[in-house]
Amino acid sequence: MGNAKNYSNQTTPTWCPGCGDFSVLRSLQAAAAHLDIEPHNLAVVSGIGCSGRISGYLNAYGFHSIHGRALPVAQGIKLVNPELTVVASGGDGDGFAIGTAHTIHAFRRNIDMTYIVMNNQIYGLTKGHTSPLSQTGFVTKSTPHGSIEAPIKPGLLALSAGATFVAQGFSAYQDQLVDIITKAIQHKGFSFVNVFSPCVTFNKTNTYQWFRDHLVNLDDEGNHNTADFQKAMNKYIETDGLFTGILYQNTDPDYYSKLPGERGTPVVQQDLDIRHKFDELMEEFM
Amino acid sequence: MIKQLTLMLGGIQGEGIVSVGDTLIRALSQAGYYAFGYRTFSSRIKGGHTNYVIDISTHKTLSCDDSLDILIAFDQDSIEINLPKLKKGGLLVYDDIVSVKELLASIAPSSYIILPIPFTSIAKQYGNTLMKNTGVVGFLGQLFHMPIESVSRVISKNFNGKGEEIVANNMKVLTACYELPLENNSLSHQYRLSPVQNNQKKASMLGNEAIAFGALMAGCRFMAAYPITPSSEVMEYLTKKFPGFNGVMIQTEDEISAITMTVGAAYGGVRSMTATSGPGLSLMMEGIGLAAMTEIPVVIADIQRGGPSTGLPTKHEQSDIDFLYYGAHGEIPIIILSPYTVEGCFYQTIDAFNLAEQYQCPVMILSDLHLGLSRQTIDPLDSSKIQIDRGKLLNSNEFTESDMPFKRFAFTDDGVSSRIIPGQPFGMHHITGIEHMETGKPFEGNDNRKKMMDKRLKKLQGLKELDHIDLYGQLESDLLILSVGSNFGMIQRVVEGEQLPATYGMFKMIKPMPIKQLEELCAKYNKILVIEGNATGQLAAIIKSEVGFHRKIESLLKYDGTPFKYEEIHNKIKELI
Ligand SMILES: Cc1ncc(C[n+]2csc(CCOP(=O)(O)OP(=O)(O)O)c2C)c(N)n1
Ligand code: SF4
Ligand SMILES: [Mg+2]
Repeated sequence: MGNAKNYSNQTTPTWCPGCGDFSVLRSLQAAAAHLDIEPHNLAVVSGIGCSGRISGYLNAYGFHSIHGRALPVAQGIKLVNPELTVVASGGDGDGFAIGTAHTIHAFRRNIDMTYIVMNNQIYGLTKGHTSPLSQTGFVTKSTPHGSIEAPIKPGLLALSAGATFVAQGFSAYQDQLVDIITKAIQHKGFSFVNVFSPCVTFNKTNTYQWFRDHLVNLDDEGNHNTADFQKAMNKYIETDGLFTGILYQNTDPDYYSKLPGERGTPVVQQDLDIRHKFDELMEEFM
Repeated sequence: MIKQLTLMLGGIQGEGIVSVGDTLIRALSQAGYYAFGYRTFSSRIKGGHTNYVIDISTHKTLSCDDSLDILIAFDQDSIEINLPKLKKGGLLVYDDIVSVKELLASIAPSSYIILPIPFTSIAKQYGNTLMKNTGVVGFLGQLFHMPIESVSRVISKNFNGKGEEIVANNMKVLTACYELPLENNSLSHQYRLSPVQNNQKKASMLGNEAIAFGALMAGCRFMAAYPITPSSEVMEYLTKKFPGFNGVMIQTEDEISAITMTVGAAYGGVRSMTATSGPGLSLMMEGIGLAAMTEIPVVIADIQRGGPSTGLPTKHEQSDIDFLYYGAHGEIPIIILSPYTVEGCFYQTIDAFNLAEQYQCPVMILSDLHLGLSRQTIDPLDSSKIQIDRGKLLNSNEFTESDMPFKRFAFTDDGVSSRIIPGQPFGMHHITGIEHMETGKPFEGNDNRKKMMDKRLKKLQGLKELDHIDLYGQLESDLLILSVGSNFGMIQRVVEGEQLPATYGMFKMIKPMPIKQLEELCAKYNKILVIEGNATGQLAAIIKSEVGFHRKIESLLKYDGTPFKYEEIHNKIKELI
C-alpha cells in the first residue's frame, strides 16, 4: 500500500476552511494509495467550480477542463489508454445542470472510469446560486423567493440510465468515503459516486449537522443487497436519496471490452505508420 | 466521338439515383476516364425530385457544364424540371413506363433525340424492379462504348455479399441493356467516348472520404462525432476502418461532447479528430478554445453548408469563414487549412495532423458541401508523401526523474513547449483552461498572463511568411482571382477553357493568412477578384483587413445554395478583363 502523501502535489487548495471538498481530495488520495496506483498512471479530470480545482491538487496527470465537460474529456482519455486509472470529478452544477447530457450518456456507455460528484447543492464558485440538486424552496442569490423547481435525484437518474455502480458518500464520513472510492475505482465499468460535500460558505441549510441528522448509512443495515436493482430503487425512494454507501453494482461488460476488432494494445501504443496498407485501402475506391 | 459531355440522372429521391451515379463514375474511372458528379438533394429522405449531374471527360474535370448533353429521366418530374437544361439536339432517355405523352406533346420532335428504354421491364424480366438501376449503367456503357468488363466489375463489387443470385441477375440485366439494339444508328457513334491516352484504372472518391482516408493514413486513431449533413461520411468511413487498426470512433451525445472527447483523446496521446458542419461548429467553439488554451493538438473538419441556424442543411455555401477566423472567445492560435480538391483533402488532412502536433493547437480543415459530397475521379495518391511528425513530444528517454518537475508550458523561442502524455513516468503535470504558469498551475498574475498570451500567439507567426496560395492560369496578366474550396473546379473550367488572361490563386491555408505572399500578389496585379460562396464577402473582408488594397479588390458572391455556374464566373471575369 502506498502513502496518500505521494498523491499530493503540495499545492495549497483555495477552498474555504471547512469546505467538504478537502475530504474528497484526501479520500481520493487515500484510495489511490490503497490501490497503489502509480501517480503517472492516474489521470484526474475536473470541470469548473470550486470542486473543479481538485485536479490541480494531485500528483498525477490533472486536467482542469471546462464547465460541464469533465466527463467527455475523461472518457476520451480512457478510450485511448485503458491502462490509466481515470477519475472525473466536479460539482453538482457541472454534472447535473450544464453537463447533464454527458452524465446520462456516461452512465449508459459504461466506460471503465470513476465519476465523483462533489455535491454541495449550490453553485459555490459563482458565490451562491441555486443548483438542480438544491431543495425546493432553497433561497439563493438567484432564487431570493426560494427555488420553485424540483431537484434531480442523481441516484435514480443513474439507475434508470443503466449505471453499473452507484454509491454515495459524505465528506464527514471519510473512512467510508475512502472505501467507496476504492471500490468504485476497482469496479470494471463506470462508477458513480455522489458525495455530499457541504459548502460552508453559501449553503447554510445543508450543513454537516443537517447531513448527520438525515443520512442513513447502508453499511449499518447489513442486509442491503447491492446486486438487486429493484431493491436499489426502493432503497433510494425510501430514504429520499439521503443515504451513504454502495447502492447498486452489477457486472455488465464495460465499453472497451465490447469494441469490435482486436484490442491487444492500448490505442495510444498503436503504430501510426500504415503505409504498407495503403494499396489495399485504396483498392476500395476503385 | 466525344471528349467531354455532361449527363443528368433525374428521379425520385431514395430510389437509387445516387447509386446509379456513383456506379457510373466508378465504372468510368475504371475504364480510365474522368468523371465529376454533382448531387442535388433535399432534406427529405424519400420522395421529392433529386438529380445527379455527371461531367465525363478524357481529361480531369472538377465541375459540371451548365447545360446537359444527356438527360436520363426515371419519372415525369425529371423531364418537366430539367428539359430546359438539355442542349438542342441533346439526348433524352426515359424509362418507358413513365407516361410522357402530354409532356412531350408541346415540344417539337426535332429539338431532341428522344429515346424510351424498357429499363423496368428488363429489370423485372431478369430480377426485380430495383435492378433497373443496373440497367441504366449497362445502357450507358453501351452508349459510351466502354468495355463491358469495367462496368460489370463495378456492378459485381456493388452486390458482392448480397448472394450469388442477386449478382447473377444484375449481370443479366446489365448485359441485356448493354446489348440493347439502338434503332437510331447515329446514336451509337455520337456518344462514343474518345479513347483515353492513359487508360490505367483510376479511383473515385468524395472529399469527405479523402479526409477520412487521409486521417487514417496520418495515424488518426480516435474520432468522436455527432452526425450532421454534409460531414457524416467522415465518421462513417472511420467507424468501418478503425476496428482493423485498433482505433475508436464514438458517436457522442452532441458536438460539445464530440470536441471535448477529442480533446481528451488527443491529450491522452492519440491523433484525434472530429468532423461537423455549421450548427455543430457553433456548439464546439468553447471546446476548440479549450484545446487552444491547453495547447492540445486536435483536428476538426468543417464541411460547410448553408447557414445561419439550420439554414440550408443539404445545400452548398462557404459562410463559416468569418466564424472560424475570428471565432472562440478570447484570442487563440488556430490553423485553418482549406483544401480545394479531393486530392488536397487527402494530403492536407495529413498536414493537419502534423501541424496540430508541431504547433500544439487546433487545426481546422475547412471544406464545403460541394467538395465534400461530389464523387469524382482522382489522380493516383502518392503514399510516399505520407509523413508523420509528432512535434515536441517527449518519450520516457527524453524526460527522466532528474528533469522533474515537468514544465508543460515552458517559455521557448518559438512558443512551442514539450509535451508528455499521461502514463509516462515522471511527467505528471496539470493543465487548465484557466491562465496558468509554465508548470500548468492556475495563475492570473499580469506579467505571466501577457507572456503566456504572447507565447501562444507567437507559435503561428512563422506561417504568415510562407506561401499558402497556389497559383494557376496566365501568371502575367492584370487580373488575379482569389478563391477557396470547391470553386476551384469552375474557375479552372472557365479560365482554362477559354484561355482567359487571368491568374487564379487558391488558398490552401486561410489562417494564418499568408500575409507576405498576399502583399506581393496584391501589389503585382491591377485587379483582384475574390470569389466565394457567401453573402457578405467574408474572405475578401479578411484579405482587406490583413493587407489593405481596398480599391483593387472586388467580390463575386453567391448564396442561393448552389455552387457557381460557368456563366456567372465567365461573365464576371469578362467584365474585368
Ligand atoms: C459555460 C459556462 N457557463 C457558466 C460558467 C460560470 N460557472 C462557473 S462554475 C459554475 C457553477 C459551479 O457550481 P458547481 O458545478 O456546483 O460547482 P461548485 O462551485 O459548487 O463546486 C458556473 C455557473 C462557466 N464557467 N462556464
Ligand atoms: S464557496 Fe463553498 S464550495 Fe466553494 S470552496 Fe468555499 S465552502 Fe467550498
Ligand atoms: Mg456545487
